[in-house]
Amino acid sequence: MPSIARKNLFYDRTRFAITVIGITFSVVLIFTTVGVYLGFMQDAAFIVETIPADVWVTSKNLQNFNFAWPIPERKLEQIKEVKGVADTEKMIHSWGVMKLFSGGTEQVEILGLDPDGAFGIPWSMVSGRPTDLMGGDFVAVDRSSVTRLGRLKVGDIREINDIRVKVVGLTKGLKSITTAPYVVTSYDTASLFNPYFREPVFILVRVSPGETAEGVAGRIRDHVSNVDVYTRDGLSAKTRWYWTVATGMGLGFLLTAFVGFVVGMVVVSQTIYSSTVEHIREFGTLKAIGATNWTIYKIILEQAAVNAGIGFVIGLLLVLFIQKGYEALGIAMLIPNTLMGAVSVLTLVMCLSASIVSIRKVRTLDPVMVFRS
Amino acid sequence: MSEYILEARSLRKVYKEGPVTVEAVRDVSLQVSAGQSVAIMGPSGSGKTTLLSMIGCILQPSGGEVIIEGRPVRWEIDDLSHVRLHSIGFVFQTFNLFSALTALENVEVALDLRGIRGPEARKRAREMLDAVGLGERVNFLPRDLSGGQKQRVSIARALVNRPPLILADEPTGNLDSKTGHGIIELLRDLVVRERRSVVVVTHDTRMMDLVDRVYQLEDGVLVP
Repeated sequence: MPSIARKNLFYDRTRFAITVIGITFSVVLIFTTVGVYLGFMQDAAFIVETIPADVWVTSKNLQNFNFAWPIPERKLEQIKEVKGVADTEKMIHSWGVMKLFSGGTEQVEILGLDPDGAFGIPWSMVSGRPTDLMGGDFVAVDRSSVTRLGRLKVGDIREINDIRVKVVGLTKGLKSITTAPYVVTSYDTASLFNPYFREPVFILVRVSPGETAEGVAGRIRDHVSNVDVYTRDGLSAKTRWYWTVATGMGLGFLLTAFVGFVVGMVVVSQTIYSSTVEHIREFGTLKAIGATNWTIYKIILEQAAVNAGIGFVIGLLLVLFIQKGYEALGIAMLIPNTLMGAVSVLTLVMCLSASIVSIRKVRTLDPVMVFRS
Repeated sequence: MSEYILEARSLRKVYKEGPVTVEAVRDVSLQVSAGQSVAIMGPSGSGKTTLLSMIGCILQPSGGEVIIEGRPVRWEIDDLSHVRLHSIGFVFQTFNLFSALTALENVEVALDLRGIRGPEARKRAREMLDAVGLGERVNFLPRDLSGGQKQRVSIARALVNRPPLILADEPTGNLDSKTGHGIIELLRDLVVRERRSVVVVTHDTRMMDLVDRVYQLEDGVLVP
């Protein structure tokens, strides 16, 4: 038999178009919301996850990576005494204000690490070398922020917190969830910018072979007082949790994605139901000539599934296009395969769920109706 | 095996609308043999459609018994859709074709429900449409067919599975006089040729000359 479901769908093209537009809207909204959220979370934990330190030691009662406070430098010596610690490194994360060429200012996040230290400068540079940051007040900025920083280029001189620095390199892919551009420099230079951040904000630890990060972190906690100690995964999770829950950002994204789901479901539900009502006599006829309820349910569910498939594919294509636009704006929008799979299943569930009202209508349909003119 | 394709014994149908009880069909009995054509005539509201719904296994009677091909219908136990699918073909006053399907596909629907699909279904549906004179219109949608042509498709759909019993509800009700006459003749010829039994519910008096037996239904009571 020809597919009554598909024939019905394509027979009424206006309704079909409305349904697909509704699903596409829903798919795009869910993808962009979750994709941008994942992008933000990647940015939030990017520094923690790209520096190959196993354990991070920082100020007590840390909220997240970006808001850490300095700890006394003597803690470094105490940490070195702990069994299982192979390498240590001081790192400064602080805030500053860069004066732009135009006379304006831009707030920046400063990362200070020794380029020839245990962990080096672990981010890829598209211009200059990590060692160029040594021996003076030299900085590197991320390629994605040069326009925002007044078309900054290598060789330019700028002031950060009234200290003149020279741009000697460009990093790639270094973005913060706070949206403030990162400025990478040596530990010593970073300690000059802010009188409150003269001492290490983080002490990074690499554990000895055969030791676990959790084990060494536990020993540091026992041995060093008034500090927070995290494994890399722990700090990453804490930072993501802070931005997701404490700021309400996650709830905002979740609500938007939920609205997308509901809008899609309402549109599909309405159009499938109106289609069912319009074809109710035909379904009654099917029942009268011997079709079971399940045969008719399958028609309705197939309609929903075809709608879902077409709406999802169009939505995905649009999202990939939108993703390029976001990239151009410097906003990360991640669409991992798991998200693609999850949204495809969600779209199908949304459309099939939207069919329930129609199925209920058919279940109670009395085929006697076919005899009435 | 019973000699009758259809037997109705003391059929009753009572509707309750609040405190009011309406007896739409009262103690109706009839028999239809193989190859026999029967017309049930009567004015609007006489209970014709209710009776047809009951003998078509669509509406459960309040009392009495329906026996199809010698087997009593057990309303609470039998899969009634299976009985309708295998034993009955329906022709409706308003044709009830699937608007998005072509004439050929409309006929194929009935075959599909019996599990006949693909080239075999297409061949049988085409042969059936040829038999009702629509061989040239197989790919037309219902909206592009006249009323008479739609009814021919409906007849083809009813007959394509070769059910022993055809039930037709006012098959000429929506057609002009000439077209209606053609439909009646077509139905009778097909039924005779295929040796099917047919029960036609109608108030079209032209039917009287074209069927083997005519019943009158008056206020729910069948009068031979």
